[in-house]
Amino acid sequence: MTAEASRAERRALRRVANATNIYIGIVAALGVLLTAAAIRLDGLVLNATFGVLLLLTVLAWWLGSVSLVGSRVTLSFTGIVILAAVALVGPAGAGIIGMVSGPFQAVGVRLRTRVFNSGMFALMGVAGGAAYIGAGGVLGETTLMGSWQIIRLIGLPLVMADVVQFAVNLVLLTVVVRLASGFSMREQVWRILTSAGPAHLGYGVIAFIMVVLWGSAGLGWASIFLILPPLLVAQWAYGQYSEELKGHERALDVLVAAVEAKAPHLVGHSGRVAELSASMAQHLGLRAQLIADVRVAGMLHDLGLTTLPTGLVRNTGVIGDRGLQSYPARGVQLLRGLNFLSGALDAIGHHREALSPTTRPDQLSVPALLVGLADEYDLLTEVGTPDGARVEREAALQLLKGSPAGREDLLSALENALARRAGAASP
Amino acid sequence: MRTVLPRAHGARSWGVLALGLLVLAGGLYANGTSLVDQLVDHWLTVVVFVAAITIGELFRLRMPSGREAAPLASASALGVVFLGLVYGEPTFDVAAGPVVLVVATGLLLAALVRGARGATVWLDQVSARLVGVAVAAWLTRAFAPDGVSLWDLGVGGSVSPWVVAIGMVAVAGVGIGVELVLSAALRSERQHTPWLAALRDEFGEVTPLTAAVVVSGPMVALMAPVLGLLSLPVALFPLAITYVAVGRYAQNRLTYRQTIATLSHLTEHGGYTSTGHAERVADLSVRIGRVLGISHRDLRDIEYAALLHDLGQIALIEPIPGGSTVLAAPSDQRDIADEGARIIRHAKGLEVVADYVEAQTIPYRQVRELGEEVPVASRIIKVANAFDDLTGGSDDPVQVRAANERIHLGLGYQYDPEVVEAAAVATSDTAVGRVGEAEPVAR
Repeated sequence: MTAEASRAERRALRRVANATNIYIGIVAALGVLLTAAAIRLDGLVLNATFGVLLLLTVLAWWLGSVSLVGSRVTLSFTGIVILAAVALVGPAGAGIIGMVSGPFQAVGVRLRTRVFNSGMFALMGVAGGAAYIGAGGVLGETTLMGSWQIIRLIGLPLVMADVVQFAVNLVLLTVVVRLASGFSMREQVWRILTSAGPAHLGYGVIAFIMVVLWGSAGLGWASIFLILPPLLVAQWAYGQYSEELKGHERALDVLVAAVEAKAPHLVGHSGRVAELSASMAQHLGLRAQLIADVRVAGMLHDLGLTTLPTGLVRNTGVIGDRGLQSYPARGVQLLRGLNFLSGALDAIGHHREALSPTTRPDQLSVPALLVGLADEYDLLTEVGTPDGARVEREAALQLLKGSPAGREDLLSALENALARRAGAASP
Repeated sequence: MRTVLPRAHGARSWGVLALGLLVLAGGLYANGTSLVDQLVDHWLTVVVFVAAITIGELFRLRMPSGREAAPLASASALGVVFLGLVYGEPTFDVAAGPVVLVVATGLLLAALVRGARGATVWLDQVSARLVGVAVAAWLTRAFAPDGVSLWDLGVGGSVSPWVVAIGMVAVAGVGIGVELVLSAALRSERQHTPWLAALRDEFGEVTPLTAAVVVSGPMVALMAPVLGLLSLPVALFPLAITYVAVGRYAQNRLTYRQTIATLSHLTEHGGYTSTGHAERVADLSVRIGRVLGISHRDLRDIEYAALLHDLGQIALIEPIPGGSTVLAAPSDQRDIADEGARIIRHAKGLEVVADYVEAQTIPYRQVRELGEEVPVASRIIKVANAFDDLTGGSDDPVQVRAANERIHLGLGYQYDPEVVEAAAVATSDTAVGRVGEAEPVAR
């Protein structure tokens, strides 16, 4: 049955890959076509400004590979260059610059990602350029004077171009992520809006400053050096967000390691429960945040054990033992102060109740039920009693049927998660 | 309403304060009567920049190290230093003196507001900032080797704008540099830390932010001829984004530290160690580290290692009485340290911390006689742990003295004399090695 499932899954995977490739091909072709059309309609001026901007895209790639603090921080100069190009060299030039800069994104990206980026940035350049002209923007190195004139003829058109570029970026990215990994569109749009939205606003103002310094203030390409430092800070600090997530994971690793040092027979248990319960949550269609909470709760559900006497923890099976009953509450006590774990506390505190026959099923949240179910299943089949007695899968499922967590839908989610795990394990 | 008096203590603090007053007096004297005329001519420009500096000073950034910065105020101050042609306004053709006065007005207004809100205002720090700006203003407007100053070049248009831009950035760099050097001197005096270490922290922490301030001032002046006074908010915008970003960075560091602190609670909740022991050892270790001039980055690892130094105890079958490892048998101490390091190594990125925890039990004798390499962090934690175990966390002078004496008995054999000396400095005064503008709190 498992082999059958994995074969079907592989077929499905291939279908997804084909659809993604076709989509990437369309985006890349559209990018080339629209840039060509812009050159035909609007003409392309091959001047020094264009040359310098083109050089910048390569420089952006080089800067992109410079890491500032730690390793995650890379500089994405491209967004600003493409936006500034809209005002300095027009839609055709911006399209070409976008197309060239696509492949020069961060190192270690797959070829098809580079092709996709190339098409997407070209489209952003052309569409942004059209919006800029449509909003009455003045092209090239102007010598405009006065705040109102500059805002009307450069500033507002740049805002329009920025909004259009962001929209193009948002739509193209959402679709490709949807095709490749099946995430829900709404989640994806929200994620991009909140993570890249503020950055785009910043890019807009920075591009405006760059255009004013370049043209009206007469600095030319030297304006780049004035623009660069604030950009570095912003980029550096936005990179901190991913650092934060990594830091959380690291700290969780230490917490799990502490549990395993306390109770060597539980080595690997926390990780398995985390995967199993998260996989069940996914199958049940829970929100992304809830799935993450369930995973963390599964990871840390045994943390309270670390505060109990070592002898007690090592010599008694966890299953239903009176001496250990306080551990879920102790775990919650330990983690209460950590804001990023607040969503997981309920499941950590109540996961054992999911198995007690006296609990009414509607008393518990779904995450608590899932973690309890995954925990008990793993204890029965993998950890076993202190004398090493383990139970087979079918017998364990039978045993679980009597408890609140043994609801039909949850058990089928468990079976599905187990099938998926088996599928992932087999080559 | 609580107005906090300016503080000044020690020679450097008085010196910087005097320099600031001197600069201020110079600004007033050089102008005499024409000052009023100039203020009337440029009233809008002056009001806008004073307001920007005041607001910038009120919105301060707190760095993870506890150091405070006001990038928007610094950049606005540099903007008025370089300001020449302004579209829609008369050319800002004033001498260095009035420029200093504009900046001083903004700084003092903000100091008053902050004082009224109950914040502690360090007038010597404000003075350091003013001196830095004054140096930049003098270099821009008064320093004229061939009778032509940088400001004249900017307004006259005889050279290419990018040459002027380079000159402005260089002068801004000098001005900020002077400010950082002075404020490092002040900080090191207040915290009894080496001056070079304080300087390294001032320049090293969030270097991109300092660079952004240095270019933002010139940017204001370079765009003003075409954008008018609007160039001030526009040029400061990128810097304002960095506020959000740096704030988030500081927040992340805080969360990570909280998580590490949670680990230190594992042994406390289990009754292996006394409540607050790990936090106290971490606090003392960091302060000793500051006295020894250890860099901000390494201090963070020391703090984490100190928080986790007893983690290995959770795997003990029987708790050590009172949890104080200083009284435990050496082999037990080593087992605990090894177990703790083993647990910590499960996390990527904490390898250094694990090394520090592992080496914390090695007696100093082995460093001296056998040439064994023990990180200074481990030696610090060893002393801080012994001190806290011996005092039980009390800061009763009798117990502190007894603990220090006891540690002195192990000098050279158990403990590194240099670290012990630094610990004696740190435990004698609660202000030593503490960062932050807040009052030292009693423990």
